[in-house]
Amino acid sequence: MFGLELRDLTKTYGPQLAADHVSLAIPHGEFVCFLGPSGCGKTTVLRMIAGLETPSSGEILLNGRDITGQPANARQFGMVFQSLALFPHLSVGENVAFALKLRGWDARRRKARVEELLDLVRLPGLEKRAVSQLSGGQRQRVAIARALAQEPPVFLLDEPFSALDAKLREEMQSELRLLQQRLKITTILVTHDQREAMSMADSIVVMGEGRIQQHGSPVSIYKQPANRFVADFIGASNLLPVEVLDAHTVRYGATPLKVGATGLPAAGPATLAIRPEDILISPAAGGGCNEVSGIIKLVRDMGAYVEVRVDCEGRDILGVVQPRDWIGAAHGDLAHIRLPAERCRVLAG
Amino acid sequence: MSALEAPVPLAAPAETRDRDRWVLTGLLAAPALYIALMAVVPAFLMVQISLAHRDVGGLWSPGFELTQYRQLATPLFARVMGFSLLLAASGAAICVALAFPAAYFITRMRRRAQVAWLVFLLGSLSLSEVLIVFAFQVLLSTSGTLAGALTAVGLLEAGQSLYPNFAAVLTCLVYLLLPYVILFFYPALSQLDPEVEQAAATMGASRLATFAAVVVPMMRGQILTGVLLVIIFTFGSYLTPLVLGRPPQWTIAIHINNAAMAAGNVPLAAAYAVAVVAFMVALLALTRRLSRRREAAA
Repeated sequence: MFGLELRDLTKTYGPQLAADHVSLAIPHGEFVCFLGPSGCGKTTVLRMIAGLETPSSGEILLNGRDITGQPANARQFGMVFQSLALFPHLSVGENVAFALKLRGWDARRRKARVEELLDLVRLPGLEKRAVSQLSGGQRQRVAIARALAQEPPVFLLDEPFSALDAKLREEMQSELRLLQQRLKITTILVTHDQREAMSMADSIVVMGEGRIQQHGSPVSIYKQPANRFVADFIGASNLLPVEVLDAHTVRYGATPLKVGATGLPAAGPATLAIRPEDILISPAAGGGCNEVSGIIKLVRDMGAYVEVRVDCEGRDILGVVQPRDWIGAAHGDLAHIRLPAERCRVLAG
Repeated sequence: MSALEAPVPLAAPAETRDRDRWVLTGLLAAPALYIALMAVVPAFLMVQISLAHRDVGGLWSPGFELTQYRQLATPLFARVMGFSLLLAASGAAICVALAFPAAYFITRMRRRAQVAWLVFLLGSLSLSEVLIVFAFQVLLSTSGTLAGALTAVGLLEAGQSLYPNFAAVLTCLVYLLLPYVILFFYPALSQLDPEVEQAAATMGASRLATFAAVVVPMMRGQILTGVLLVIIFTFGSYLTPLVLGRPPQWTIAIHINNAAMAAGNVPLAAAYAVAVVAFMVALLALTRRLSRRREAAA
């Protein structure tokens, strides 16, 4: 196939398993985000793809060709590091031209390519500037231009925006996405910031404990989390301990709740996951099924939405309501919570 | 509450700052006084003696004359200074060329191997210079191990020794200074961000190209300081050229000693010493200026 493929990629450091049989196919030109908490193995997998770590087992294929044994300098995948790793002794232009000089490009060709790349990252005319004289965002752009200079088959980024302030980060995220769409280059970005992943990626690989927990489009990962880990890590989720009664019913405390499908054996413990925005809150019982009631513990009016925390049978349920739908209840009031069956997902464990 | 959890005040109260300032002044006072007594005062005395009148019977008598400084304009002094500089520059070039890659490879080893190397290097410094120089004398002598081995394979005629000569002096000086220079480079190289080298690798650079095009230029300042360090040490070397060299390989330090002790001309020895210090200061100033100009150009 065309693109990048990982087959059963595993990496161990002594007894510690950093990446556990990671298998993944990334079509050419796709933007993929590896998302997960720190220590989940996402950077290890990225470094194996770059050739900076040797896999303990497994294969890496580029356009169907096995490149597992190739060192980083033979793969020449452009990479932006977390520290950016710009060469402090070289000017902006020299940094960008580094790979081109290694390839033996003459000065005139190098100059033209550097100009083109600096235009691309919106830093025209800064060739002579010392790296130390640049702002955080400008350094970021130089690192991106430098990694793209060699026209790499795969573009890798390891938490490149973590050191930037929120505003600049969002600006750089959309710039990078536009750039990637323009160049149609296979791109893998490692991040622990789910907002970053959701806003940029064609597909997201959620990683946890060295394994791929779920791979899919941002919306599918948000709407249909494959397991408790993903439901908990991506966005806010209400995770309620339930008991499976049959294929379409679970029991929360004493209340039976209808769900889309349990897919789990009866009488076993499970977790019911529902997003806060999928919950309906009303002051009076609706009389229908799938309702639990509780006492409002906290109301936070955030302007764009109202966040309500309700104590239901000793467990907090979080709801997010549009201001126009908000019932105006306050702390200590009784609230009825409806959990729409089609929005309830039942997860193992 | 553990120490890590203890709240950190944003700004120390004024009285704490005043106390800290006093403590700092107190701590700095002792070394400052020591330097003043042990470096500035002798330097002043040295200049004073170099300008004094030579008294054959009583070493020197107070006065102000430039007689001894006129002797610095002789070919002998120029030749000795030239040789000292040649020896120092050769020693510096070899030491840095060996020590820099050695320190680099040590920093890339596993932690345990690094500690073993550092202990070994520090341990080698505990050997006295006298012991090392005489060990070299034995090693390079006619009956020595090295000369014997070279004679056995036919590279050296029987009865010949490998000293006294320039190579013997240089080899011993490099041996003496190498651990210092490796230990000097170690901290800077161990702090070098590994991602910088990895970035070069992802751009197609081999390990050798990365070392030459990234590591060495990034450490330019440290390398220059390392070179100066060896030049300063070697310029003043005394025992090694005395034992392993012939008179043409004697450094200025030996000539200072000879002027003072053998010829009894203390003011001349002082004038030599003042000239050496002035030369070193000029060398440092020149290096600093050059590195500043390069920084400004960058």
